[in-house]
Amino acid sequence: MRLAVLVLSLLVSAGTAVAQVPPCTAVPGWTQQGDARSYDADNLFEYMNGNAEGYLLYHFVRMKGITCASGDTTLTIDVSEFEDAEFAYGMFTSTRDPRTPTERIGVNGQVTPRKGFFTKDKYYVEIAANPEKDHSATLRAFLSIIEKGIQGRTTLPDAFGWFPAENLVPDSIRLVPESVLGLRLLKSGYVAQYQAGKGFLVRESSPDSAAQVFTKLKARFSQASPASIGDEAFTATDKYLNGVSVFRKGAFIGGFANLPEGRNGVAESEKLAANVR
Amino acid sequence: MGRRLTAKRVIGGHMAYKSSRRDFLAAAGLALPTVAFASIDKSRQAPTLPSPASGFSYRVLGKTGLKVTSLGFGCMITSDPSVIERAADLGITYFDTARGYQNGNNERMVGAALKSKRTSITLSTKTQAKTKEEALQHLDTSLAELGTDHVDVWYLHAKSKPEDLTDELLEAQQIAKKAGKTRFVGVSTHGGQPELFPAVIQKLPHFDVILTSYNFTMDPKMDELIASAVKQGIGIVAMKVMAGGFRRAKPGDKQTEILKREGAMLAALKWVLKNTDVATTIPSITDNEQLEENLTAMSAAFSDADRRILLAQLDHIGPLYCRMCGSCSGQCPKGLPVSDVIRYASYSDGYGQFQLARESFMALPAAIRSVRCSDCATCAVHCPNGVRVTERLQVAQELLA
Repeated sequence: MRLAVLVLSLLVSAGTAVAQVPPCTAVPGWTQQGDARSYDADNLFEYMNGNAEGYLLYHFVRMKGITCASGDTTLTIDVSEFEDAEFAYGMFTSTRDPRTPTERIGVNGQVTPRKGFFTKDKYYVEIAANPEKDHSATLRAFLSIIEKGIQGRTTLPDAFGWFPAENLVPDSIRLVPESVLGLRLLKSGYVAQYQAGKGFLVRESSPDSAAQVFTKLKARFSQASPASIGDEAFTATDKYLNGVSVFRKGAFIGGFANLPEGRNGVAESEKLAANVR
Repeated sequence: MGRRLTAKRVIGGHMAYKSSRRDFLAAAGLALPTVAFASIDKSRQAPTLPSPASGFSYRVLGKTGLKVTSLGFGCMITSDPSVIERAADLGITYFDTARGYQNGNNERMVGAALKSKRTSITLSTKTQAKTKEEALQHLDTSLAELGTDHVDVWYLHAKSKPEDLTDELLEAQQIAKKAGKTRFVGVSTHGGQPELFPAVIQKLPHFDVILTSYNFTMDPKMDELIASAVKQGIGIVAMKVMAGGFRRAKPGDKQTEILKREGAMLAALKWVLKNTDVATTIPSITDNEQLEENLTAMSAAFSDADRRILLAQLDHIGPLYCRMCGSCSGQCPKGLPVSDVIRYASYSDGYGQFQLARESFMALPAAIRSVRCSDCATCAVHCPNGVRVTERLQVAQELLA
């Protein structure tokens, strides 16, 4: 009953990060240790020093957190709010371990013996447990309660479905918040790891803007060869990006890079371009 | 030692001190006529240095004897390994990561990017562990992720107080050193340097390197602290060299674009490099364009133009942004939490976060929210950092109350 009341109150008050941090007592046997934490983009540095930069990159807005204790075990619970659901998911993609399966907690989550985190709507929730041992059951209990208290989007960004599935490394698609492929021209977008090479997709504000970026990008690669994909395309080779194929389709710029010798990525890019809407 | 150093509180990786703006600018080298600084520090070339790549400067990392490029590479937020690989090919020799960056993903990427270059570069990582066992476990994980059997420098991460340097963490570093898993050990610090530097020196010969926040917005006393460590043979690596006012600007923000366009980032880096006690720097580098821009800092002297840019930045940041030094605490006879209210004003007009500003302000007690600075003939609050206190408080009261 107590838990039901708590969950209900969380549902009712969803919409602010403050409400999404449950009391430690939501799970029997746990009590709060110390004061609640509250940070924003201006002072997150005080909490996590340089690691704050990783959050700010994804347009972090604010964080609320508490520490729960039971015996000698502590849980550090932090609920971060980002500007939108895409950035929150981007934060998740930058921190998940690609070798560990993800779980359906919110949009997506991951639980390891000492860490649990998920994203839902514009929130990214993380719990760290101490000391060293398997805390996964406790982590799941808290994650479940917090997840129920967050309303909003539970689906992956559309772009996730656009990358061709063949040879795609599972759970490898991530949002790169700036300089996709290490190129400032490609401001931000998605990168997907394949068995060989990686796919990328950047959305510009308009087809005209994308055309301008495409032209500059093409000029950056010497000996670019024209290709027939989308509205315009080229293939090239680069010392660090190896085989590259790039296309523009409307406001999107996408393609493949780091392809092994002998592959120009045209076939892969054609599939990606066909999916882009 | 004319000025008394008064560390008040550490905010945003900065030390905040009581010192006059005149003192600050003078000692920071921003208020004096231009002095041309050679890009290659000749006094540090006594050991045999590698043949400098064109436009590169090399320095020795204290008693480690490691020869490093004065521009290193902070890998923390780099998303594409090609930038790291290219930096190594171009001749950068110092690369820094940490166990905690990107939840461990960063070390894996750095390891993959540098796997063919391990013997020609200096590689450092860090642990934020609190116990000996956890620290050593972190190191083993770091080595596995980085794909190497040793790192060159292993730091205790983000320490700010002497008591953070516990015996068991120091013991972990010694064990790692003896096992050949790290060649040298260090400590990284974002704040609390006035207390931490002497504590590190006191632990000698244990520590080899200090990785510290250091930039043009910090108190000139930092130079003395760094010099005192260098005198004892400790190598200095500088981070957060682009300064806090820059850190607050997010990618794509107008402010970030202005800073880049005006060359403020490069000027800030050159300001750090002119201190030859700093062996290397680790600005975060996310793309090839930034890499190329940063490379020029090694071959270009800190100029009058750079000085003007940084002065303008200080003028921009100084009067508006509270550095949270705490000096104003208790000064307002009406009980205003001055630094908090000024910060709320910055949320709104500095970052366009009106809702956050309003929510924060409205969370103050009603009696505090009702205070109007215009009711006072004069303001009792004086800011040592030049923040226009009354003006900023009134902005908050007009916008948010």
